[in-house]
Amino acid sequence: MNAARALIHIVDDDESIRRSLRGLVESAGHAAATYPSAQDFLTASRPDTPGCLVLDVQMPGLSGLDLQRQLAAGEGALPIIFLTGRGNIPMSVQAMKAGAVEFLTKPIDAPALLAAIGHAVERDRAVRAERSGLDELRGRYQSLTPRERDVMHGIVAGRLNKQIAAEFGTSEATVKEQRGQVMHKMAADSLAALVRIAERLGIRSEGRSYPTKDG
Amino acid sequence: MPTTAIAWSLLLPPAARRVAGQSLLAVFALAAVTLACAWYQPAEPQLTTAALLYLVIVVFLSLNGSFTAAITVSIIAVVFLQDLAAPPLFSLSFNEPLDLIALSSFLTTALVITRLVSRMRGSLEKLRASLEELGRAEKATRQQAALLDLTHDTVVVRDTQDVITFWNRGAQELYGWSATQAVGRVVHALLHTKFPVPLAQITEQLHSTGRWEGELIQTRQDSSEVVVASRWSLQRNEAALPAATLETNNDITAHKQAQDALLQAQTELARITRVTTLGELAASIAHEVNQPLTAIVADANAALNWLAMEDPNLNVVRETLTAIVKDSERAAEVLTRIRGMLSRSSQPFQACDLGVVVRETLPLVRSEFTRHSVRVEIELSADLPLVLGDFILLQQVLLNLLVNAAEASREVDPARRVVTVGTLMQRDDARLSSVLQVRDAGVGIREADLPQLFEAFYTTKPEGLGMGLSISSAILERHGGRLWVTANLDYGVTFHFSIPALVS
Repeated sequence: MNAARALIHIVDDDESIRRSLRGLVESAGHAAATYPSAQDFLTASRPDTPGCLVLDVQMPGLSGLDLQRQLAAGEGALPIIFLTGRGNIPMSVQAMKAGAVEFLTKPIDAPALLAAIGHAVERDRAVRAERSGLDELRGRYQSLTPRERDVMHGIVAGRLNKQIAAEFGTSEATVKEQRGQVMHKMAADSLAALVRIAERLGIRSEGRSYPTKDG
Repeated sequence: MPTTAIAWSLLLPPAARRVAGQSLLAVFALAAVTLACAWYQPAEPQLTTAALLYLVIVVFLSLNGSFTAAITVSIIAVVFLQDLAAPPLFSLSFNEPLDLIALSSFLTTALVITRLVSRMRGSLEKLRASLEELGRAEKATRQQAALLDLTHDTVVVRDTQDVITFWNRGAQELYGWSATQAVGRVVHALLHTKFPVPLAQITEQLHSTGRWEGELIQTRQDSSEVVVASRWSLQRNEAALPAATLETNNDITAHKQAQDALLQAQTELARITRVTTLGELAASIAHEVNQPLTAIVADANAALNWLAMEDPNLNVVRETLTAIVKDSERAAEVLTRIRGMLSRSSQPFQACDLGVVVRETLPLVRSEFTRHSVRVEIELSADLPLVLGDFILLQQVLLNLLVNAAEASREVDPARRVVTVGTLMQRDDARLSSVLQVRDAGVGIREADLPQLFEAFYTTKPEGLGMGLSISSAILERHGGRLWVTANLDYGVTFHFSIPALVS
């Protein structure tokens, strides 16, 4: 029951499959939640924990592919592993193009499914980590004053303090001081680190874009 | 005077004319006798001799003539006797009456003789009439028997002990034995008759209704078997007791063989159609096996994982293994169903529950329905009577109707993709039937397609064989039932089939 346990969502219209997959997933040390249909999955209140979705392609009502399409439109999509009774190539291509992690045919190869679940969970954790890191950087960037942002853009574009001061019509000492503020606020210990941060935030070296949390 | 009498007599009816003629003749005879007696001994006529001669005349008249004439002549004889006793002859003066006792004795004797002779003649006539009747009847019987020899049907008459009493030429031709060889033998032993139901049951029906009809298998003199359509009629005697049985047999061996061949061809065609349908459903059926197999694989791996843990929870392992057993059975059931439907032989008819037919067939198409996002609704009647039939064939009909319904539904608006399978009991007059219905809200059937819908090789589907409904219809016919279709008020069609309920 540790917080690091991944939650595997299983959607299948067959009761036997739901029960057995839950057992398999739990025996591998993950937590499991099962849903008899895609609609049930959509309407259920799900905890925002790392995990993945094991999804039957053919179900009455909303199919697995339909659910994938709907989830892709929203944010925070879980990695999807598809299970199918009759896999055909166009179907698997479509699923993989839409971002599925795996496309497995029934009867399944259990170790392969567990491996796929492991990869998917890892990927979800990484995405979540990435997402939370980015959120922090955005917060830091938000804390900069407009002038400090201009200075930061100038720095990552490779301009010298002198050039920046000339551009804004201020003294080189002021720019130097503002540069120190930027490095401190963005928690960058070197110019290279600041450039990487700017890249993650999507600030182009020559760009004039000012990405925000909403953007 | 005689001319007038003759003229008058001509006016009389023939019988009366005969009486009159005979009487006249007798009177002449009496007159002749009287004259002879008077002439022979005129002084003392022999009254006794005359009376005896009169009696002879009366007897002759009684023998040949009518009763009335004999009586009339008897009375006239008395008059003559009286006349003879009192000459002169024919004076008709009875001055010296005869002894009254002698006269009345004569009259009585004459009358008694007349009566006796008349009765004797009546009996003789009756005897002759019945002899004639008998002769005619015998002739008719001979003619009828000759006629019975003309027919190609075999006609056998047997007594209450089943001993053959009549054997026509048709019987000789069919079985090989001549009438002389067959008559006197017990029919069922001679022909090694095989009955469709126990003989006692047939006999009971024969005695209660007077007739029986059915198919028999009999053996000819050359040991070959022959199938006959047999009709039995019971003949009763005057006391209403069974006297004889008339058995008419018709050789239907060739007809039967053709029918058997047709049935076999039909069975094979039904099987091929069934296999074709199952082939079309192969992906769906594989899915039905894949589902439990997937569960089994997952469960088995989970059990291994649990066991690999330190201090494994054996309860969980036990539950998992139990689930594996259950899913194995589920997979096996699907395979058993398929094997049943692929079977070559047709089963003897037995009591079937249409509800069970529905429950056993749906798993084969469930996945097919899911694939096209078609929902299945089931409305089974709780008190549906059993029917007599071949379970596999009934399953085939339902399978065919379900596949059609799924196909008709897959292109329509998702809200209309519902197929309802229902059973219900129907009462028509006094007859109970079990009805199965498959209703869809699909594309429907064009008016122009309706008349040929149940014909072989007629199809509206690009890849259809056009055998499904025609085979289904034939299967229902074999069950004494029928298959028909009605258009729904809103969308789609409903296929119905009904089979007479099994009366227990």
